[in-house]
Amino acid sequence: MILFDFDYERPDTMEDAVALLGRAGERARALAGGTDLLPSMRMENIKPELLVSLGTIEPREPELLADGSIRIDALSRLASLENSGLLRSKVPMLTQSIHVVGGNQIRQMGTLGGNLCQETRCMELDQKHDYQFVAPCYKRGGDLCYPFPQNKRNVCWSVYMSDIAPALIALDAQLEIIGETGIRHIRVEELFTRDGLKPLKLGQAELLRAVIIPPTPRGFSWGFHKSTVRGGLEFGMVVIAVALRLAEDGKTCADARIVIGAVREGPVRPSAAERSLKGAPLDEKLLVQTAAAASKEVNPLPHHGFTKRHLMDNIRVYLRRTMVQALEREHGTERSD
Amino acid sequence: MSELNYVGKSMKRKDGPDKVTGKAVYTQDVKLPNTLIGRILRSPHAHARILRIDTSRAKALSGVKAVITVEDTKGIKHGFVETPRYPPDQEVLARGKVVHVGEEIAAVAAVDQITAQKALGLIDIEWEILPAVFDPEEAMKQGAPEIHPSHPKAPGKHSNIGGNTETEWGDVEKGFAESHYVREDRFECQLRTHGYLEPHVTLAHWESDKLNVWTSSMGVFVKRAKLAKVLDLPYSSVRIHKTYVGGTFGGKIDLYSHEYCASRLSMITGRPVQITASREEIFSAYRHAQPLILEIKTGVKKDGTIVAQRIRAINNAGAFRGSGVVVIFLAWGFTMIPYRIPNLKYEGFSVYTNHTVRAPQRGHGAPKVRFAIESQMDMIAEALGIDPITIRLRNAREPGEQLPNGDNTHNGGLAACVALAAEKSDLLAKFGRDRKSPPKGTIRRGIGIGTSAYMGGTLIYPNGSAVIVKMNDDGSAIVLTGAIDIGQGSETVISQIVAEELSIGMDDVKIISADTDVTPQDIGAWISGMTYVTGNAARQAAGNAREKLLQVAAEKMGVPAENLLTKDKVVYHRLNPELKMTYREIIAASVATHRGDTIIGEGFWRTMRDEPTHPSLATTKGRWTENYAFSAQVAEVEVDIETGEARLVKALTVHDCGFPINPALVKGQIDGQISMAIGHAFMEEVLTKDGYTRNPNWLDYRMPTIHNMAISEDADVITEQYRVGQPYRTKEVGEGLISGILAAMGNAVYDATGVRLHSTPFSAEKILAGLRAIEYAAKNPKPGEKIRA
Amino acid sequence: MDMATSRVAGGDNAARTKSRSRLISLCVNGEWHEVAVKPRNMLIEVIRDTIGLTGSKASCESGTCGACTMLVEDRPVLGCITLALECDGKRIETVEGLADGEKLSPIQEAFLDQGAVQCGFCTPGMLISATALLRDKPKPTREEINKALEGNLCRCTGYNAIVDAVMQASGQGGVKAVMK
Repeated sequence: MILFDFDYERPDTMEDAVALLGRAGERARALAGGTDLLPSMRMENIKPELLVSLGTIEPREPELLADGSIRIDALSRLASLENSGLLRSKVPMLTQSIHVVGGNQIRQMGTLGGNLCQETRCMELDQKHDYQFVAPCYKRGGDLCYPFPQNKRNVCWSVYMSDIAPALIALDAQLEIIGETGIRHIRVEELFTRDGLKPLKLGQAELLRAVIIPPTPRGFSWGFHKSTVRGGLEFGMVVIAVALRLAEDGKTCADARIVIGAVREGPVRPSAAERSLKGAPLDEKLLVQTAAAASKEVNPLPHHGFTKRHLMDNIRVYLRRTMVQALEREHGTERSD
Repeated sequence: MSELNYVGKSMKRKDGPDKVTGKAVYTQDVKLPNTLIGRILRSPHAHARILRIDTSRAKALSGVKAVITVEDTKGIKHGFVETPRYPPDQEVLARGKVVHVGEEIAAVAAVDQITAQKALGLIDIEWEILPAVFDPEEAMKQGAPEIHPSHPKAPGKHSNIGGNTETEWGDVEKGFAESHYVREDRFECQLRTHGYLEPHVTLAHWESDKLNVWTSSMGVFVKRAKLAKVLDLPYSSVRIHKTYVGGTFGGKIDLYSHEYCASRLSMITGRPVQITASREEIFSAYRHAQPLILEIKTGVKKDGTIVAQRIRAINNAGAFRGSGVVVIFLAWGFTMIPYRIPNLKYEGFSVYTNHTVRAPQRGHGAPKVRFAIESQMDMIAEALGIDPITIRLRNAREPGEQLPNGDNTHNGGLAACVALAAEKSDLLAKFGRDRKSPPKGTIRRGIGIGTSAYMGGTLIYPNGSAVIVKMNDDGSAIVLTGAIDIGQGSETVISQIVAEELSIGMDDVKIISADTDVTPQDIGAWISGMTYVTGNAARQAAGNAREKLLQVAAEKMGVPAENLLTKDKVVYHRLNPELKMTYREIIAASVATHRGDTIIGEGFWRTMRDEPTHPSLATTKGRWTENYAFSAQVAEVEVDIETGEARLVKALTVHDCGFPINPALVKGQIDGQISMAIGHAFMEEVLTKDGYTRNPNWLDYRMPTIHNMAISEDADVITEQYRVGQPYRTKEVGEGLISGILAAMGNAVYDATGVRLHSTPFSAEKILAGLRAIEYAAKNPKPGEKIRA
Repeated sequence: MDMATSRVAGGDNAARTKSRSRLISLCVNGEWHEVAVKPRNMLIEVIRDTIGLTGSKASCESGTCGACTMLVEDRPVLGCITLALECDGKRIETVEGLADGEKLSPIQEAFLDQGAVQCGFCTPGMLISATALLRDKPKPTREEINKALEGNLCRCTGYNAIVDAVMQASGQGGVKAVMK
């Protein structure tokens, strides 16, 4: 139950929605699936005066473009994408990353754009503040940080939890953003500010309209993993997406994209670790070294009861396994589990 | 006619059709016109003095109908325990100071939620912040912030003692001296919550000098007694109505402030008032279970026979006494039932801290105690080179054994449970396998066993249950029982018993339950005795009606009643089945010739009828129960030694529940307890900081989901029988089976990895740390180090 | 919508008309209801309090437990984090709509047969999630059952009986009734 009133509009097009958001300014928020926004409103961490519902705007089916790219409407429900044959055959890593989001109802309600635009999370933040953690933290406009009391600067170490964003970054996907002045495109990894106070580089009157995934090159392979305690329903402890491209010899790494999610203010690419793979033959020893180095490089923030050390351990083991999974997939030796 | 038609069979739930169609009425579904919404102002401080409280701005807000503080109450205290030693210690709203975050300070009734919420924001309070203490061992130290004065009879050197339990028999020091092997260990458990799906909710309506209350509870008569007391009303002025209850697990017994506030606000406004607790309130201000610290020193002979045991238990009891003093009594009890301990010294402390108050939770201390004892039992067995089954069989209590408190194990089947569990799980063949020859890959499998025992139907208010069976003209029956169905299936079980005793169909039995004005008194669904106590009362009531039927039939048929038998609503002559009368005919005859007697059966039951009252919480003197249920549970776990992730793969529960009235309902209790134990073992923890709850929701408090179920097998060691017309003995099955399996999982993690965990949960992080320690020790052997003395 | 657009165009105007109730139509279990709702009203509030169908349960009210699951245009959604306004003109099914008169649906029968009901508070949401699954996949695998029901918490049963009930209702695995 939300205990404050707000207004509500339902434009018919994205253009109208953007215009509405532009006119209303900071007091308005766009509403898509609502699975992230409405709980935050219930907790009164966000108190918009106007919701601009995108509910009447019908998303288009994912399409295969002439250049082999795939265009996915940002308003697509996650469940419908999960069941899309096109996505499963062309970008199975994306299908996998959608499959592990929330619980089934969340996937039925939530949209792709909403998942990418979700707020960063912190236990002390994600609750009502009637009598608990009452004094506002940095993120709520105050001047303290509950989980990191040593943090004396105006910095928020909340964590960005999208399961899908790491997969899209590994796939080198682009975002189509619609604003009052028209359309712009950015790479998915450019969406993130790395600042927990305002984690997304998105204007007040800007909306994600589509995600465009370039065709995957020859020798491409992928691995994806989400660590949770319960195997479902919850946000990730660690999310790992790996995209490898092997050279013609089938052994040497031509390109590697490693993305670690759920441990920082945005998804992290451990670039030194990625570089160490390029041009090298991918043997067990290198993968072990790379995973260990990456776990240090991403410098995870302790979150949701997990210590930094444990998150590093988890990344170290599962990144190696995920890379092995990618190689096995490429070599057709993937275990059927 | 010894064959049973309903009892002992897995009859479908009586409440099932209503529950699968959405018709079942829970408290939140009761709607009254003109209802006001109540909300409670809670403390933002863990420990603070209230210097001034001003509600005038809130009262002035349009739509606010009443605001109450402690000044609007009669100042009558209540407590989970109310005895001369432990008098009630809590007021319904804070007076003068608050002692935990979320403590209730004031309540408002308004026309809607938004107005009520706004009103809370208009209550002005001036605070003086006091130092707070959260760790029980810190709180016990001299000089710690004093939350309440220590109990007058508590040992003087400690601070913040809300109560203590001390008992001993034999001579422990002599026992340790005579032991071949002695070890001492410390175990701890995390803070966990009940996780009932239905939130706390109360609807109260004061009408015509009567308070009508609908509330989510575990026993309407307990609620009535406490509510009437704090409102200073006669019991006859308070009626608790029946509603279905969406799960309790111990968390809905105590009187809660919102129940008082809804009632009082209704009395002031003359309108119905509903208060619903949000899930966050339940997590951060309501009552959780009790995290115990247990220090155990045990001495054994060479063959593993226990010689002496010394136990020290410290309970982080929260800011009021709650059930904290009960847990430290029970912790002794759960120690001494399964195994013989010739010399024992026990001391338990219930320590006040500035945490929320504690309530019973399924098992009420037993999971923690059994985890500790059974873990240490395996450590002892390993040190002595004995297998885990042999050491348990060597110490297991026998049937008919007298316990130190005067109780008797009667037909208790612990040894039979252990033996059958070993056989069915093939434990001895599997035990140690992966440690001896580690398989390829990173998955290690382990197996472990734990035992437990639980009492049933202990004496505590209201102590006994009564049941009335009213025969209808057509031979069907209406049963009046105070029993409350919280999901365990009490209405089904009572119907089975009444149908069996009266030889009528399940559909002929209709239950009217859990209404303090309409139904007779009942013990409630919270001391593991409903099937035994209320069930025997129902059996007696139905038997009483049957005897009256037979008596009238005997008169009409002109034969002795003992020559008659009943079947399908007809009384037959035993030797001449042609000679018969239907119940309809008999009841008509009874009305005609017995001055209008329509035949009503009465029954009542109480355990241990020679015992005046419950045992002493402080000294443990006095009997406890006549129904000890025993169990042995085996866990098979898988651990990934690279990630530390562990999961329960398979659980086996072998139990002695006496006689299972409804085996499928028994199985339902087992499966539910396995699932809760999985949460305890691997997932759940209420995380707190300075008295605030960091994870007051189900995303971050990780209750098991459907992904986390394990194979759950069970076997019943049936030690009792049910015979029509005879008292029967059923034993506890609803909360005793959450403990052995927890201990078994700890032992199985050890078996898989060699990592012995002294605290729950068995998180991946702790398991990894344990594996690292083993690796380090293997690389850096210390010369001359003993295994463990 | 044009009217709406003009209204937010001027800030003062917006404040004056803020949070007025609107009339929406919901087709709940085959019956159309016209109800006045405010933007902040969630679907669960309207279904339970305004329309009076109390079978769907309000438990966490924050989208984490699944007790309020209902079908909106065949999709299982969480009534506690769905604005009622978003459902204007839509078809909604709740637990009250599963039985055909007195005849229970196979999944309802199976829940009773398998002992998949204890306190019953998760049951309405659980039944809705299972119904959606079985309409989509009449013979779901165990993994598909887990994925379909992972958003429905149950504290009583330990889930085994619930999975068995879905298997029984889908005629799989030779699962027989355990209660009679």
